[in-house]
Amino acid sequence: METSYTKEEILAQQLQAAFEHLITEVVRKDTVFAFAPKEQVSSILLYAKEKLGYISLSHLSCVDWLESGELELVYIIWSPETKVNLFVKTRIDRENPVMENTDMIWRQINTYQREIREMFGVEFPGFIGEKEFILEDWEDAPPMRRDFDTLEYVNDTFFEREGREDKQDVRERIANRSGEEIPDFAKKYSRE
Amino acid sequence: MREKSTTLYLGPQHPGITGNMMVKLQLEGDTIVKATTHVGYLHRAFEKLIERRNWMQSTTILCRFCVPEPDPPEAAFALAVEQIEGREVPERGQYLRSLVLELARLQSFMLWYAGQSGSAGLYTVGQWSVGDRNYVLDLFEELTGGRIYHMYIWPGGVRRDIPEGFEDKVLRTMDYIEKRIDDYDRMMFDSAIFQKRAQGVGVITKEKAMEWGVVGAPLRGCGIGHDVRKDNPYDAYDKLDFEMGIFEGGDVWARARVRQFEIRQTISMIRQLIQNLPSGDYLNKMPNPMKWTIPAGSAYGKVESVRGEFGFHVVSDGSDKPRRAHARGPAYVHGVSLLEDVLVGENLADVSFIMNSLGVCPPEIER
Amino acid sequence: MYNDKNAQTIVDYIKNFTRKNSLFMLAYGTGCGAIELPATLTSRYDAERLGVRGAATPRQADLLLITGYLSTKTLKRVIRVYEQMQDPKYVIGFGSCTINGGMYWDSYNTIKLLDKYIPVDVYINGCMPRPESVIEGFKELQRLIAAGKADGATKYKENLDWYRNNQKKVLKNWPLVEYNW
Repeated sequence: METSYTKEEILAQQLQAAFEHLITEVVRKDTVFAFAPKEQVSSILLYAKEKLGYISLSHLSCVDWLESGELELVYIIWSPETKVNLFVKTRIDRENPVMENTDMIWRQINTYQREIREMFGVEFPGFIGEKEFILEDWEDAPPMRRDFDTLEYVNDTFFEREGREDKQDVRERIANRSGEEIPDFAKKYSRE
Repeated sequence: MREKSTTLYLGPQHPGITGNMMVKLQLEGDTIVKATTHVGYLHRAFEKLIERRNWMQSTTILCRFCVPEPDPPEAAFALAVEQIEGREVPERGQYLRSLVLELARLQSFMLWYAGQSGSAGLYTVGQWSVGDRNYVLDLFEELTGGRIYHMYIWPGGVRRDIPEGFEDKVLRTMDYIEKRIDDYDRMMFDSAIFQKRAQGVGVITKEKAMEWGVVGAPLRGCGIGHDVRKDNPYDAYDKLDFEMGIFEGGDVWARARVRQFEIRQTISMIRQLIQNLPSGDYLNKMPNPMKWTIPAGSAYGKVESVRGEFGFHVVSDGSDKPRRAHARGPAYVHGVSLLEDVLVGENLADVSFIMNSLGVCPPEIER
Repeated sequence: MYNDKNAQTIVDYIKNFTRKNSLFMLAYGTGCGAIELPATLTSRYDAERLGVRGAATPRQADLLLITGYLSTKTLKRVIRVYEQMQDPKYVIGFGSCTINGGMYWDSYNTIKLLDKYIPVDVYINGCMPRPESVIEGFKELQRLIAAGKADGATKYKENLDWYRNNQKKVLKNWPLVEYNW
């Protein structure tokens, strides 16, 4: 009996056949995830670009999983014939994050790597790019990591305008000033 | 006698650049030998701010990602959240979303007319088109309450329904603008100065386009036809009848012809959307917005804006705040590394011209 | 006759009249609010009937319009531009981000109060202010000039040390020469 596979399942099977320690998952229409160890990522990307037709890079992103002590890198690539998005995900160590440089496959990944190096502290040894990209004269920890508290930094460095320290509710003040009553349904916030 | 080499900072304060960024040029005489871009003057750390707010509170700051055209970021975020949760949008909501996205495209095209002709010296086209753009902003103000920042597209639909008499107003505005666009075209595209300045300048070959990952109107100006509305259609675009504009050449003239073709397609799409608007619900209402949680997962939502493909990678871990929301604007590739490559060998007077044609918009590069 | 008290006020009146009716605005879009400026300067909400038009360089301008938030990288350049402008000069703070930080109140890269770094004469609030509000802001500045109260520039010169301390707290590599007068 012949079963017909969707294009997402065909992609998952092709990748599984070529690489051993790969876990693939067909999540929804037009999206396939592939979880790979760190050393296999550039071979998977090159194979998908040359043999399977995934020639266009959409995005390179980084997620901070503070609880398990890891950073996750996500490469999103797209094929113009089958129109499927392929996510290649890998996890690296948070204390000493080093990842392989892939700008010989796609030239524009240089810009993404520059930003991830500045915002998360991940090193991609071997690529050419200036250190300062978006921030200037920044000496603290990489700011997008989850243990950097931006409210504390703001209270240390910048000034606040006087007159709102008690943080009163504006509606109550205006109502008290003109002597009117706030209706019941407007009194309770759903802020908890 | 050898020409001396000079360093020039086409800096943050300049009447010719499209936003707040710096291009450092090294010149020999009048020709550019090396160019370096410096960005970061508009960095607000949006992604850190989104991690501190709820799913619903994030929709108030999403529209500030891209200043000339504020609706694609909201639509991309909404598409990604609906993919993670599996939420369906009712049909009237889809049509209204496409209507707002097309109107935003129309007013962004009219702003492009002003920028491109202004850097060539034809200032009258800019005065006309920015003056007529106010009529489109009046439509937005009646529908959503604000001229520039709308906050109208929510995950699950749109915020409110259209008021009475709105459809007639839209059709009358489209009739008026269609006549005026012929005037702009006659002034700009038939002018010998513009033609001589635009042909052969800022050339991107087909191989360079595929290698650098160019998207949007610059890609269609090289002869390759890709458009997110045709490849991965979202909302009501698979029911509409329109064509992509594909022109050969890869220079500023071809990219201008692409936009000239597409603005008329946009007007015809708005007319089709208004005439076929279905009835029904406009929002698939979410539970209490302050306590709304989304199951764990991740998705990538893509939308076509005027400059190219706008993407949003959203990661959720099951709580009521997003784990990571990382946006990718089309100017991220065009404005930082491609610009350094295209400018080598061009004249100093053409820098502003090329930047307007590629669509470099600094707020979406550094968010 | 030229030391008469009435003659002094006539000179002041003519001086303020000519200054307030020809404000040249520097072409610098520092933030989001710059998107409403083309609409203010063209045919529907014409600001050119008040005498406002664009100027290309700081030496030719006398009005600096800070449209929106300022990141610390831009603040360095704005201070340099402000000190390059010549007297008399005025500053308008545009949008609610200059008043108290606006919606970026917890961002590590934007400044929250503009008044501590450069002197501000008029604030326009809103997010985004409509073109009618912008024209109302210009008229308020004209009223202040006519009454002789728009003196941000003299305040900056007299309290330069205080402004410099605030600026150095936020900017780490100080780019300008220290004045010794």
